[in-house]
Amino acid sequence: MSILNFTYKMEIGYEKDVGKCHFTIKCIPKEDARQQLLEMELSIFPQTSYCFGEDSFGNRQLYGSESEPHKQFVFEISGRVKIIQTDFEEQAREENVGIFRFPYGKCVAGPGLIKYFHSLGPSGYTEAYDICMDVMHRLHKDFSYKPGITNFNTTAEEAWSLAGGVCQDYAHIYIALLRMYKIPARYVCGLMIGEGASHAWVEALCENRWVPFDPTNDCRVLNDYIKLGHGRDASDCAINRGLMWNGGAQSQKISVSVWEQK
Amino acid sequence: MQHMELLKHRDKINELLARYGVRFGIYKNNTFKEQLFPFDSIPRIIEHEEFTCLEKGLKQRVMALNLFLKDIYGKKQILKDGIVPEDFIFASSGYMAECEGIVPPQNIYSHISGIDLVKGKDGKWYILEDNLRVPSGASYPMIARELCRRSSPGTFHDNHIEDNRNYAELLRRTMDYVNAGGHTVILTPGRYNAAYFEHSYLAEKTGAHLVTGSELTVENDMLYYISANGAKERVGAVYRRISDEYMDPMIFNPESLIGIPHIFEVYRKGNVALINAPGNGVADDKGIYYFVPQMIRYYLNEEPILSNAPTYLPFYEKDMKYVMEHFDELVIKDVAEAGGYGVVFGSSMTKPQKMEFKDLIKRESRRFIAQEVIDFQDLDILDDGEIVQRKADLRAFVLMADEPLVWKSGLTRFSRNMDSFIVNSSQGGGFKDTWVLYQ
Repeated sequence: MSILNFTYKMEIGYEKDVGKCHFTIKCIPKEDARQQLLEMELSIFPQTSYCFGEDSFGNRQLYGSESEPHKQFVFEISGRVKIIQTDFEEQAREENVGIFRFPYGKCVAGPGLIKYFHSLGPSGYTEAYDICMDVMHRLHKDFSYKPGITNFNTTAEEAWSLAGGVCQDYAHIYIALLRMYKIPARYVCGLMIGEGASHAWVEALCENRWVPFDPTNDCRVLNDYIKLGHGRDASDCAINRGLMWNGGAQSQKISVSVWEQK
Repeated sequence: MQHMELLKHRDKINELLARYGVRFGIYKNNTFKEQLFPFDSIPRIIEHEEFTCLEKGLKQRVMALNLFLKDIYGKKQILKDGIVPEDFIFASSGYMAECEGIVPPQNIYSHISGIDLVKGKDGKWYILEDNLRVPSGASYPMIARELCRRSSPGTFHDNHIEDNRNYAELLRRTMDYVNAGGHTVILTPGRYNAAYFEHSYLAEKTGAHLVTGSELTVENDMLYYISANGAKERVGAVYRRISDEYMDPMIFNPESLIGIPHIFEVYRKGNVALINAPGNGVADDKGIYYFVPQMIRYYLNEEPILSNAPTYLPFYEKDMKYVMEHFDELVIKDVAEAGGYGVVFGSSMTKPQKMEFKDLIKRESRRFIAQEVIDFQDLDILDDGEIVQRKADLRAFVLMADEPLVWKSGLTRFSRNMDSFIVNSSQGGGFKDTWVLYQ
């Protein structure tokens, strides 16, 4: 068991006044077999009312609107999470598995990924867990970490053709591959020690449990990860979704820190 | 003849329909074109007994479809029991993960269902397709009847015709039953929409406010209507005439200007009814059509009263074999297409086209269904003073309030060309009144 402290801050600056905006934020740690939220505090600027809820994947969210002109939008959350040492995220409920079995959104394999999948050949393993480990190691060798060449909208196939990307791209490609191996897999958005931004990893269904893997770091997900949400691909659990009128050019700054409480 | 008197009034009625703005618009080659929907004054007549049977079958079908939707967005028992393969749900474009776990007011998903049927030469009715995503068309027979009644009141006095003016009442009852508190509104994308006439007509007849997205706003998990003087009044039911993906730009298409940001959150918390429920596409897709008779047995433990057209799913090996061997006798439909598009007749293809198409079906077996071509009855149409024969279908409207209600009328559409089997209004053609007789 460990206790992690975290802070997440997003500051968006606009060139001109935003007349009106709507936002949906999914940035509150989930509670499951692995983690428990002990305390949290959050603030939004401009000060406006907002409502809490859960999306259809059970991710916690808050949403609201601001109709007074503003040039800046700031969201900040901090808190403490208890991480319980376990091998899996949660026991899978059968009705919630099928949805992660099929190609979807940014995790649809195109010709490039299908070719790569065939080049990997049938896995020598029979257990889902072993296949996941094997595919993760091989993907790690064949894909490089290269910031700046992909963006939030990049699909698995596009990232694959660029031969490099960031955690989101690793996760998308890994999901597309696992689903081709008939292993249901879902995208996870979260935070981890040592990352200055949010992180992404994957949970795969192994013996009816959702087991987390981190393809970017080629390792299992251990005590230094905080899960925020999951979905079929990155869009389902995007930390921030906004809609605004006017505003002109915008700049975004995100700062994250996670540290262990001794 | 019961309707001879009406024939004289055909041109007059069409003129009035045009004046009232009874048109439908279509997008073709990226341009919006409005066209008249020609009315033929020879009614389709359905005898009392025949309609009674249709009514039972339609109620049964819509009950089963509603239970299916509840199951799919909930426990998914029908998948666990292996009646419907997962592929037809999660790989379907009509399935919306965003609707998982949401329980709509009164557990109703398809409040207004448009069930398309044809009558075969064998005298038997067949279901062609189910439309559970805001089906349109009820206003056409409503206004046509109104005009016919005005031109020839005697016709409706002398014949035993069920009055169809109660549609507004049925709709009102359906909307009120699920209303979560507050006003009932009809949400239209605006006057450039193909069915705008219908939106405004139904609003007028039901007494619901006709609104556009910009007149609605979300605050603290509630939906409000902003009236002209700026007052906010709560809305408890939205009969929305815009499709799912335009409803809420915060969840679906972010480019949507006709939707209401965050309306989905209000819906999720049970504070507003959306009519029809989002996500219904998973139950009216051409692939799922095949499974409806099995759904009726599964959920209701009854034998289906109405038949599907004999349908084959190349997804199943046995059916694939049949489709390949009997290609010329079948009509092939692309599951993802609607409105009469993506429909091809095996017999009308050249040899190379057939080869190519068969390969496509083998590669993408989930994408197609194949059906026996039903030889359906022609109806008489008055064309340039001559009686001619055209293929026609019937869209029956089933409304789900505290119990299923079948409107004793419907929209009869006929094809424009003699040899065309496609009667969809976006492909030309016209409509007729549908008389249901009482004893």
